[in-house]
Amino acid sequence: MLCSFLGRASATAASLPAQPVMAAVLEHENQVFLDLFHQDGLVICARGLGIDRILLRFLRLYCEPASLVLVLNTSPAEEEYFIDQLRSDGVVHLPRRVTNEITSNCRYEVYTQGGVLFATSRILVVDFLTDRIPSDLITGILVYKAHRIIESCQEAFILRLFRQKNKKGFIKAFTDNAIAFNTGFCHVERVMRNLFVRKLYLWPRFHIAVNSFLEKHKPEVVEIHVSMTPAMLTIQTSILDILNVCLRELKRFNPALEVEDLSLENAIGKPFDKTIRHYLDPLWHQLGAKTKSLVQDLKILRTLLQYLTQYDCVTFLNLVESLRATEKAFGQNSGWLFLDSSTSMFVNARARVYRIPDDKISKKSKVSEKMDMKEGKELKRELVLESNPKWEALREVLKEIESENNNSEHLGGPGQVLICASDDRTCAQLREYIIAGAEALLMRLYNKTFGKDERAAEAWIKDRKAVKSKGNAKSDTGPQAKKAKVEASSKQNKIMKKQDLTLTQMMGKTEEEDIAEEMEGYKELSSSEEINTEETKPEDFHLNLASDAYYGIFKNPLTIIHPLQGCSDPYALTRLLHEVEPRYVVMYDAELTFVRQLEIYKASRPGKPLRVYFLIYGGSTEEQRYLTVLRKEKEAFEKLIREKASMVIPEEREGRDETNLDLVRDSTSATVSTDTRKAGGQDQKSVQQTIIVDMREFRSELPSLIHRRGIDIEPVTLEVGDYILTPDICIERKSISDLIGSLNNGRLYSQCISMSRYYKRPILLIEFDPSKSFSLTSRGSLHQEISSNDITSKLTLLTLHFPRLRILWCPSPHATAELFEELKQNRPQPDAAIAMAITADSEIVPESDKYNPGPQDFLLKIPGVNAKNCRVLMNHVKSISELVTLSQEKLLEILGNAVSAKQLYDFIHISYAEAISKAKTKR
Amino acid sequence: ALPGATSYAEYGAASEVLPPGTEASTVPPAASGDSDPSPTLKLGAKSNCIIVSARQRGNPILKFVRNVPWEFGEIVPDYVLGQSTCALFLSLRYHNLNPNYIHARLQLLGKTYAVQVLLVQVDVKDPHQALKELAKMCILADCTLILAWSPEEAGRYLETYKAYEQKPADLLKEKVDQDFLSIVTDCLTSVKSVNKTDALSLLSTFGVSHLLPISVQTGPYHC
Repeated sequence: MLCSFLGRASATAASLPAQPVMAAVLEHENQVFLDLFHQDGLVICARGLGIDRILLRFLRLYCEPASLVLVLNTSPAEEEYFIDQLRSDGVVHLPRRVTNEITSNCRYEVYTQGGVLFATSRILVVDFLTDRIPSDLITGILVYKAHRIIESCQEAFILRLFRQKNKKGFIKAFTDNAIAFNTGFCHVERVMRNLFVRKLYLWPRFHIAVNSFLEKHKPEVVEIHVSMTPAMLTIQTSILDILNVCLRELKRFNPALEVEDLSLENAIGKPFDKTIRHYLDPLWHQLGAKTKSLVQDLKILRTLLQYLTQYDCVTFLNLVESLRATEKAFGQNSGWLFLDSSTSMFVNARARVYRIPDDKISKKSKVSEKMDMKEGKELKRELVLESNPKWEALREVLKEIESENNNSEHLGGPGQVLICASDDRTCAQLREYIIAGAEALLMRLYNKTFGKDERAAEAWIKDRKAVKSKGNAKSDTGPQAKKAKVEASSKQNKIMKKQDLTLTQMMGKTEEEDIAEEMEGYKELSSSEEINTEETKPEDFHLNLASDAYYGIFKNPLTIIHPLQGCSDPYALTRLLHEVEPRYVVMYDAELTFVRQLEIYKASRPGKPLRVYFLIYGGSTEEQRYLTVLRKEKEAFEKLIREKASMVIPEEREGRDETNLDLVRDSTSATVSTDTRKAGGQDQKSVQQTIIVDMREFRSELPSLIHRRGIDIEPVTLEVGDYILTPDICIERKSISDLIGSLNNGRLYSQCISMSRYYKRPILLIEFDPSKSFSLTSRGSLHQEISSNDITSKLTLLTLHFPRLRILWCPSPHATAELFEELKQNRPQPDAAIAMAITADSEIVPESDKYNPGPQDFLLKIPGVNAKNCRVLMNHVKSISELVTLSQEKLLEILGNAVSAKQLYDFIHISYAEAISKAKTKR
Repeated sequence: ALPGATSYAEYGAASEVLPPGTEASTVPPAASGDSDPSPTLKLGAKSNCIIVSARQRGNPILKFVRNVPWEFGEIVPDYVLGQSTCALFLSLRYHNLNPNYIHARLQLLGKTYAVQVLLVQVDVKDPHQALKELAKMCILADCTLILAWSPEEAGRYLETYKAYEQKPADLLKEKVDQDFLSIVTDCLTSVKSVNKTDALSLLSTFGVSHLLPISVQTGPYHC
């Protein structure tokens, strides 16, 4: 059920010789490596099955000065990890990073030194275009996360440039995201085309080689199906009910939506938010308020579901209550709050935390003052504080491990324990739970969130004590829950004794303030405990571990809690795993990638025992979510296998000769004598089209698309404009968010000023995101009155002030590239040297202005001078030197406005000392 | 004076009746001469209203011109939005049916206004090809292309052009604090080689009256 783990394995293969080599080569990995080494291709491997290890092997192979290998699509954290791994393997010629910290002049040297290079894509594009990189010397390119290589992206552009200039080098691509290929039409084929590879290697988990090999090295697995409390179950059912209603409504309002992807099963999965955005973004501006609020509701409901199983009852109730409060405060009537199911959810959420004794309420007359009754209720709250069933299961597991560690001489001493939970917050809670116990944790949380309800708390503690003593007296007959409580408290005592071993300082950073607060609260708690227990100074133990996000609990045997997600370093858990080498792993939350990683980890240390405990709420959404992920990946691979079988790959795909049509850029650059695309007697057919592009623009996909059209690109640093199409046409490209930002901060205004000054045809290009709606304002966002804050108003004002400024509206970068090509037709080519030299000091276009722009800008900034009287002033006063000599009367005569004249005069003739004192008094 | 089919309201019916070649007849006879601006233009005449051509009668966007008064008048463009601003309105759906219409209108208009807006309402499903052609046309004909996705938005643009006719560009400029030091620093740093620190040290050494001519040694404003 859980991956290949099918219950408890009877015995481990202890007979195999123990190898201390950490990075032992695994059979199937060897095969992947050899296959790919002999022929270029794309490897798609199951998640967690060690795609990073395979890439690492290739890196190790090419870490030598004789080869030059580029690695694309790695993040800084991944690069760090790979370099660290290679360093610990004793590789001398370590990979280097080519980022903007290395100046352009030094880069050629870096390239010629060889070895493996992690390079920023933007830099590589520019270097390929300017031939700064010796493309003929490149041994090959390794592409990580290859599922992201779509046609227009920078990496695809790099590969195309590489193949155009280098026919011999290899291209090998890696990915472990099979699900990504499940979207779109022929996705895998298109990716392979962009990668220029012919071979597709598929390595699903159910691949025979992988399966049989991992079968041999199965870790011992214990699945613990924890059952949810009745209250939790009811809440879960209610939430699912509401989710279902919301989904149905959503479909009803938007019949165009694909029904298949909006099933309840998908709705509880992680990527649902993304899916729904994917569907709705392009038509977001057309959606009614109802749909938008439904989308919001779905998000909330999913959060609720997650909180239910992830955190304690108090946190959950807090979330629920806050929803209720916002609904009351803002009157957001989302509808579902009035469903029967939601009432049952509220009731049960409260019942998990406290109950209000019925008899007392019924005694009070219903007509009596409500305030009084409310107070009475507040005071009469009896705390229930239901503990998380998983917590108790965890306690049991830890107990089992402890007892096993006590007689573990034959295994060479006690084994380390690693507990994995999904996020930081859970980890913090678990840690507190293990050290302080459920009661203390819940009490603290309750006091924090719902105020210090001293009486109820005291009552609760008293009650607990009573139960405890009762439990001690007849522990055999007590109900199971009570029994667990007793065990818990006895365990707690044990831990108290071990106080000197616990860690009161949280090592590692917290990501949410929430956690920080919680931990603070915990510190208080532990410090008070400290005083109680004869002031033993807790030993601060600093483990020199690679990850900084873990929570240590016990030192001996080392017990550590680590989050599965949300670490700044994506390999934190992997590093920790190999460093701590735990014998016991407790999966508080199941995650596919890590489960597979554990299998690999086990297989790479044959003979060493590993036991994995799974804690899962049986029949819960949590379990369902895990199974869905598993199924999705399997289906994705099955689809890939089918596609692979029917795929037709042209011989010339790799582009090693001249026949690959993808490498032939459009008409103009090719040496075709007859050009059918352009009719009407062009006499400059032989001229190579060129566009000058600003360096900073290489972050966008537009340069790649322009290049694809057969237009040469000259990357230079431009002070004015982003793209120079012809000597006259200068284009400033703005995405919608850029446009809004630069209209607000004044940057666009100054950019338009300089474009108008130096070019005959200044153009503002507004580029829309093709995945979003092609519209500037959303429906219904128009105010009754003209508002100067609207983007349309600002755009209007801009065009009024720059009559020569043209505006292009492009729905996508593809459309932009096409338009650029057409705008260039029959027009002369731009000159990069001239474009680069255009700075504020250059000569201006004659028709733009008869005045020198420098002093004009200067004048306009002086108080009392504005756009209207600036001209008059410049016509009357020859220079600024003359201006400062004029009397106030003369200024008045020129400006014709007493206020302006005074402002101007005062500004010029104020002394520094006066100015400073003036400024101070103002403050 | 205008043929009935030229008014906006009737274009739908008209386009079905008229053969494609009759677009030329939509040119109002009042302004048949390209060379001299028609007397009805009243260039430079001040008006508080948007002047709307009679051919726009029935255009739903007029319903959304509410914040600025408007009146019908005999004009060459569809809308006169100020002394030097005018607009032509084009619905893409109409354009797809009569692709030559806008050509004729632009030709007729010539270059009589400083800001000539081509206000296009995007009301077809796949507007990209048409928009590309219009974009190129606007560059050749010196028009400012403005897209609106609804009659409300189109009406708002008309209003805004009229309302902002005299508005200074301050709204678009970078905000500068209104105390003396900020102003003088901003002023001095507009000279290319001066940065903020320089400005302050200059200011502490010289008074403004000395400083200004020093910082701008270029002298005359004229090139």
